[in-house]
Amino acid sequence: MPLFGKSQKNPAELVKALRDSVQALEAGDRKAEKAQEDVSKNLNQMKTMLYGSPEQEPQTDMVISQLAQELYNSNLLLSLIESLQKIDFEGKKDVALIFNNILRRQIGQRFPTVEYILVKPQILFILIGGYEKQDIALNCGGMLRECARHESLAKVILYSEDFYKFFSYIESSSFDIASDAFSTFKELLTRHKVLSAEFLETSYEQVFSHYQALLNSDNYVTKRQSLKLLGELLLDRHNFNIMTKYISSADNLKLMMMMLRDRSRNIQFEAFHVFKVFVANPNKPRPILDILLRNRDKLVDFLTRFHTDRADDEQFNDEKAYLIRQIRELKPITDSPQSTPQHSANPPPQ
Amino acid sequence: MSETNDKDKAGHQLKWPSSKDDYELGEVIGVGATAIVHAALCLPRKERCAIKRINLEKWNTSMDELLKEIQAMRACNHENVVSYYTSFVVKDELWLVIRLLAGGSLLDIIKHRVKTEDCRTGVFDEATIATVLREVLKGLEYFHNNGQIHRDIKAGNILLGEDGTVQIADFGVSSWLATGGDLSRQKSRHTFVGTPCWMAPEVMEQVTGYDFKADIWSFGITAMELITGTAPYHKYPPMKVLMLTLQNDPPTLECVGDDKDQFKGYGKTIRKMISECLQKDPSKRPTASELLKHPFFRKAKDKRYLVQTLLSCAPTIEHRAQKLKHSKRNPGASGRLHRTETGDWVWSDGEGGSSGEELEAGIVGSGVGRGRGGVTAEELAARQEAISRANQSTSSSDSGTTGPPSLGIEISASPRPANGTVSENLSGIRGPVNPSLAAAGTAPTEVSTAALSVSGLASPVANQPVVELALRIRNGRKELNDIKFEFTREKDTSDGIAAELVGAGLVDGKDKVIVAANLQKLVDGTSNVKSLIFPLTTDFEAMPVPDQRTLMGFAQLSIVE
Repeated sequence: MPLFGKSQKNPAELVKALRDSVQALEAGDRKAEKAQEDVSKNLNQMKTMLYGSPEQEPQTDMVISQLAQELYNSNLLLSLIESLQKIDFEGKKDVALIFNNILRRQIGQRFPTVEYILVKPQILFILIGGYEKQDIALNCGGMLRECARHESLAKVILYSEDFYKFFSYIESSSFDIASDAFSTFKELLTRHKVLSAEFLETSYEQVFSHYQALLNSDNYVTKRQSLKLLGELLLDRHNFNIMTKYISSADNLKLMMMMLRDRSRNIQFEAFHVFKVFVANPNKPRPILDILLRNRDKLVDFLTRFHTDRADDEQFNDEKAYLIRQIRELKPITDSPQSTPQHSANPPPQ
Repeated sequence: MSETNDKDKAGHQLKWPSSKDDYELGEVIGVGATAIVHAALCLPRKERCAIKRINLEKWNTSMDELLKEIQAMRACNHENVVSYYTSFVVKDELWLVIRLLAGGSLLDIIKHRVKTEDCRTGVFDEATIATVLREVLKGLEYFHNNGQIHRDIKAGNILLGEDGTVQIADFGVSSWLATGGDLSRQKSRHTFVGTPCWMAPEVMEQVTGYDFKADIWSFGITAMELITGTAPYHKYPPMKVLMLTLQNDPPTLECVGDDKDQFKGYGKTIRKMISECLQKDPSKRPTASELLKHPFFRKAKDKRYLVQTLLSCAPTIEHRAQKLKHSKRNPGASGRLHRTETGDWVWSDGEGGSSGEELEAGIVGSGVGRGRGGVTAEELAARQEAISRANQSTSSSDSGTTGPPSLGIEISASPRPANGTVSENLSGIRGPVNPSLAAAGTAPTEVSTAALSVSGLASPVANQPVVELALRIRNGRKELNDIKFEFTREKDTSDGIAAELVGAGLVDGKDKVIVAANLQKLVDGTSNVKSLIFPLTTDFEAMPVPDQRTLMGFAQLSIVE
């Protein structure tokens, strides 16, 4: 990386120079090539100011706090993100590095950049939209995940309509975009436990109707990843209410039973970890119990032969043995201890 | 700014598509534990590329690790770092589309050179080493400036393009120093990855963590590899390598040779450069940028020099990209053996010529028998096979027992005969035994079902007086051979031919009966297929897991039309 050591601009000058060059780049006139060069050069200087370089220490807190202030006042972060596609390859990476560094800046308990973005939430939505553009998708993804680390920003994203765009990004044909979008999606749903539990509860129908499409995806990776995340979500104690709701649906149980027999062993295995939650539920609703009872013998048989080669996975084997016992000992539901069995058609085998 | 490669230019053209149908798979150029690499053609762009097919069912580490590898590649745009184009999911495979480097890896070239020339006093000259390593350093410098560590620098991960381009490949273990390339959280890593022989002491110790400098150690080991042909402690098992690296002084050229003067042709500056890289205290090792200024690299020349010194000598990389090879596949084994009218076995390349000299060349396996510009039979066959396999993977079921009849491939379900006892018993029997039953062992019913399922097809083979056949089988060195021969009904018997194959040293004695059995099945036309894959008894030393697809521990017999 060449050094531009001679021209030591102060933060205000640097921000102004960068803003001017980004504007020139946006204008796209004859001087576009020069503008591109200027943008790269200024971004590089700004990065060096924040991170230092082999030859140079990072700037003092004073200088950096000045830089941050200039960035907010000029709205340069926003315009950098708006113009991201036009910036060259290395410049895009520099934008992300600068953005992430400034975002992590902390004064006592405050995160000034988070406060700034809360006032300019379009930054978040432009970043989300970045997943539609191949050449900036991963840069945007990196910045979004940095945002998602902050609860207040994650909340803005979760409760926006744009959150549902993730369901289609996750199914992008390009693996890098799809999996990057998935990891941001996962971050949003798992990092802030209380926030995401609240969100999943209030938006249960909408989220899980979309989620169903992921589980049924033709894309192997989408299916496997979303199934794994589902298991994690349901088993998180913060999500107790969501789990209760999820495992009371007969359709959900049927889906998992299908997936237990998926052609992919990995998917079977992930499905097992969701299926077990249905069986281990001490208060199984009738529709669930009906399905389990109807398939009792088959299930016991199936589970007995299920992934028998995982001999050294003690936890799995314990769980499996437990499930088999639970299913074998299932009793038809009774409304009260005294009432007669409702399902005489399915007497327990004796 | 830094150098840019064709990625930027390509960006303005057609994008690299993310659909399997836009690519035509060609020959296999590499095989790993969970991945297979093909040369391929991107149809809309009319451009060659390499496709790494990663089997995700076998991929046991988390999907996040894969994403990291791809993010690392996506974040690189440098002449000396392998160019990533796109990636997408096909069934349970991830297809990574990357630039095709037709020259293979430096390790391939070392291996070839060691086989064909006397390399006792050193494999490459200093100018070649300086030229290659300077390119590697530029790639490493870029890597490190990006906040990445490669963690597995070695000759096997340095690839050559036909024009002499040098690129660092295999991000399999490369990682960000800190999450997301965040330079401010740049501390160090604590993960144990890499290949022991090239691994820096601090990586092995796992106490202090490590940084960029671990790559510099591996770089120094790689420099030694380019001189001696191997990493210093290559003879030892991994644990021993760890001990030696930690306990001994850093390796030098003097201590690795059989005698002190073995590598005396190499001067002071290269020795100095190596010893600077191989300092146990990482902080004392130079950075990639500092190394680029080392006097040794004044000896470096340009790409064209590498074309002369590295690419021209390897006959496998002549001409176009069709000439591909990989460390796992010996180029010398390409070509075919066939029987002349006089009954002799003759080696020839894809051009169809045959002479005694060629036979010799082929048997020696020195690579001289390589085709002269045409695509060899083996390459064509491998290509077809790979393509049909790729097609199969989307159209047939997982079980893989029977391919669609239209492909004419039946994967035989017969189990491996136990300990070769079956063959011993049978080998004494002369005359017309019914070997198809004997060798198919417990699975005759499956054979007949397969026959029934395609019974609509005519079986013209049964009526031909002469049948042309090809046996694809690995030899003792695990190299794939195509052996072509004719079967004349009046004159030949299956076990007669099988005995001849054994006599010529082409088939192991233990496999005689299974070969005869499958030959009989084919020429009888009873199973109505043109090709059979069957397991072999032969147990080569250190044979990897038997695999039908790569014909490890299997052979394929086909009718040639």
